[in-house]
Amino acid sequence: MRDGVGRRVFAARAPRRQAAPSNRRFELVAPAVRRLDAPAPAAQDRIENNSQESPPMPLPSRRAVLAGASLAALAACGQRQASANRHVNVYSARHYDSDRRIYALFTERTGIDVRVLPANGDQLIERLRQEGDQTEADLIVTVDGGNLWRLTEAGLLQATTSPALEAAVPSRFRDAQNRWWAFSKRIRIIAARRDAGAAIQSMDELAEARFRGQICARSSSNTYNLSMMAARIERLGRANALAWARGVRENFARPPQGGDIEQLRAIVAGTGSIAITNHYYLLRLQQSADSAERAVAAALAPIVPDQRGAGVHVNISGAGVSAHARRRDEAVQLLEFLVTPEAQRVVQELNLEFPIRPDTALLAPLAALGRFHEEQIPFDALGRRQSEAARVYEEAGWL
Amino acid sequence: MTTARLLRPRAPAPWPGLVAILAVIVCAAPAMAVLALALAGPPLATDATSLSLIANSLAGTAALIVLGGGGATLLGAGAALLVTLHDFPGRRVFEWLLALPLAAPVYVLAYGYSALTWAGGPIPINLTGVAGAALVYAVGFYPYVYLAARASFATQSVCALEAARTLGARPFATLTRVALPLARPGIVAGAALAAMEIAADYGAAQHFGVATITTGVFRAWFSHGTPTVALQLAAIVLTGAVFFLVLERRARGRRGYAGGSTRWRPIPLYRLDALAGLAAAAACAMLIGLGALAPLAWLTRLMLMRPIADFAELGGPALNSLALALVGGAITLFIGALVAAGARGGGAGGRLALYAASAGYAAPGAVIALGALTLFGFARDAGLVGGLGTSLALGLLIWTYVARFAAPASQPMEAGLARITRNIAGAARSLGAGPARRMFAVDLPLAAPSVLAGALIVFVEILKELPATLLLRPFDFDTLAVRAYAYASDERLAQSAAPALIVTAAGLAPILLLARRIAAARAGAS
Repeated sequence: MRDGVGRRVFAARAPRRQAAPSNRRFELVAPAVRRLDAPAPAAQDRIENNSQESPPMPLPSRRAVLAGASLAALAACGQRQASANRHVNVYSARHYDSDRRIYALFTERTGIDVRVLPANGDQLIERLRQEGDQTEADLIVTVDGGNLWRLTEAGLLQATTSPALEAAVPSRFRDAQNRWWAFSKRIRIIAARRDAGAAIQSMDELAEARFRGQICARSSSNTYNLSMMAARIERLGRANALAWARGVRENFARPPQGGDIEQLRAIVAGTGSIAITNHYYLLRLQQSADSAERAVAAALAPIVPDQRGAGVHVNISGAGVSAHARRRDEAVQLLEFLVTPEAQRVVQELNLEFPIRPDTALLAPLAALGRFHEEQIPFDALGRRQSEAARVYEEAGWL
Repeated sequence: MTTARLLRPRAPAPWPGLVAILAVIVCAAPAMAVLALALAGPPLATDATSLSLIANSLAGTAALIVLGGGGATLLGAGAALLVTLHDFPGRRVFEWLLALPLAAPVYVLAYGYSALTWAGGPIPINLTGVAGAALVYAVGFYPYVYLAARASFATQSVCALEAARTLGARPFATLTRVALPLARPGIVAGAALAAMEIAADYGAAQHFGVATITTGVFRAWFSHGTPTVALQLAAIVLTGAVFFLVLERRARGRRGYAGGSTRWRPIPLYRLDALAGLAAAAACAMLIGLGALAPLAWLTRLMLMRPIADFAELGGPALNSLALALVGGAITLFIGALVAAGARGGGAGGRLALYAASAGYAAPGAVIALGALTLFGFARDAGLVGGLGTSLALGLLIWTYVARFAAPASQPMEAGLARITRNIAGAARSLGAGPARRMFAVDLPLAAPSVLAGALIVFVEILKELPATLLLRPFDFDTLAVRAYAYASDERLAQSAAPALIVTAAGLAPILLLARRIAAARAGAS
């Protein structure tokens, strides 16, 4: 009975409010809300969905009605790009322009729309876990072997294969059970200020006493550093890794702060002379529109380390089909597209990453780093050893 | 029947209790889900690594709250004092320009500052670690204190000030013994906001390499793979926030602030002499320069190096940001008003509502978002909801906004309400107005400057909000903050400059508008 009355009030008030949103406090608000309100095709079920999670208000409120309607409009706004076309949903930890370009190319070639949700890798995993078999994700794209391992551990990926994938991706760069396939790689290198003239050829040397006060590195909570450490633990064991981290920490020119580019800037400005960086940050400075950044790059010598030893540390970006994908075929098609020569070229051009296809011609800035040999450990190890790596860093005082 | 009961003069008002329940469900549920997980999980970690992580995090956060929060309070209260009670060149402009830094996300300020201050940069000083973060917090968060304190000063009774003068108090004594104590609820509320913002901030602390509770939560959760420690830390943040709030209430005591007056006249300004006036103007200009102009000018320079095509891609995200801030802001403000009203009604229920709102605010956005996601997971397991489709994702996201920002919406309102004399409430009551009517017809209009301050803060907060938006938004639904972060986290500051500046610009208009309204809202002001 009371419900009936409430409904009547609701019905009587809602149109009036929408016709004349005259609350002065929201003068700025009103035009935008009205415009968004106009299409609202799916308003009914939005409101129902919404009422499931917000409890009944103690006061019947016109504003709540307005808010509910706006929420519905917002939802419609979010869906405006979902057309009648076939589409595929991508959860991506990569929010690069290169990926947006690749998805646009994919849509151009196949007519399949790509809907993307870019967010942080670790948090995407948490979202996928909570969504369970109800997830809308079809393809999951992420950076770092550790994240790929965690996706497989959580059972969030399903095995996929196809002749095109088999042909393009070397076996080292895919999951043993075909749950993920890498499509680009990056290496972690040393940058040395040219005028300091330090002779250095390996990461091990960074821990030597001759570099006291010379080294700049970012925080150890960063994935790139965690994975580099995980790989070291895998190759040489925990004791070696701890001793190395202690040595490097003692050589720091300053406490870790900022990203890789900031380390490069710091050493050029005279805070230390040696930095650890992913290769593409240095290349990006070389290509910058800002002459000050190009000057920073020019003052630095890139050193691909460990060429006489274990090989340079490599990390990958990869993708796999979601365990509960509803559009499996489209997801596989997009996965295959990521390793086509066309997409592999975009990855180089826009993101300065190395392609995964061995037969891809390297662009000039990447080729300039020379041919190098790579650290040979299974990428799973980056995930398995990650928490151990974090603890080693902390024990060494490299925060 | 219901109306009759409300009109009966001595009937106990039932709704602060209802508001409390609502506030706990809406604002505290995500945080409580996190705590429940902490308790349900494996036994608490006591190994050396975890303990040192916890100790470092606590020390870092404490240092930042003392230095950054203390700095923000001094700067904000000082600025409010200058522009509301003194006359000097440019006062009218500074009065609203001082709110400007609020528009810039603090992570953008951090990026701007570290780009400005590297050893080879335009300002070659070494701005790192706790010092760097504290500076960015102080200049970025002082407007919280400024706005709340300003509203308190602006609604102050002329009579009290004049009474002090007729009693022979010199200007300085009037200031320290009358004006400042009367403005204390506002200053304390603003300082509490700043402290909670600092406790919850991730971007700037992470950037300057300070170990804080928030960065510790992520470090423990995702790097160590020990959610237990992460939850322990989250529990510490939440308890700390509530403890802080209790302290604040205690400090205020049970004193009523019957300082308002029905006789409104402009507060007579104390005219500073030429030199002091110039110094005051310079101080205000410097605050604005440090909190907004310098880092934003740097970003503008970076932005101008980019091709025009960058901007075309930002239309969709801009629209999404605006829609979320408007809709989420309206809902948050409404819940915030209820919480403030409930708190005013007094009693355990009202206080509980306030604590529930504060718990959500002090927790890092990503933790609240994870909590909301966990609750969604339970509901999905129970078969209550399906997948996280567009509407449900947006619903969860807006719920997270309400949980996060009901406190900043309600705190200025509550402080404003505290300054309305009990006589007015008594008069309304004797005329037969029930609590709801008193709230919306009498109290809120009287506290309009504070309500506007709350509205402004929430709108801009949502515009800038990052971690929850990142985690909970639907497909193809980038906001400007998300774009700015995506580029900045990939160290493409030049590309992140455009969306960051648009976020700032979008926040600018409401901030300036509302700051001016606050200035004009004082009854009796010419």
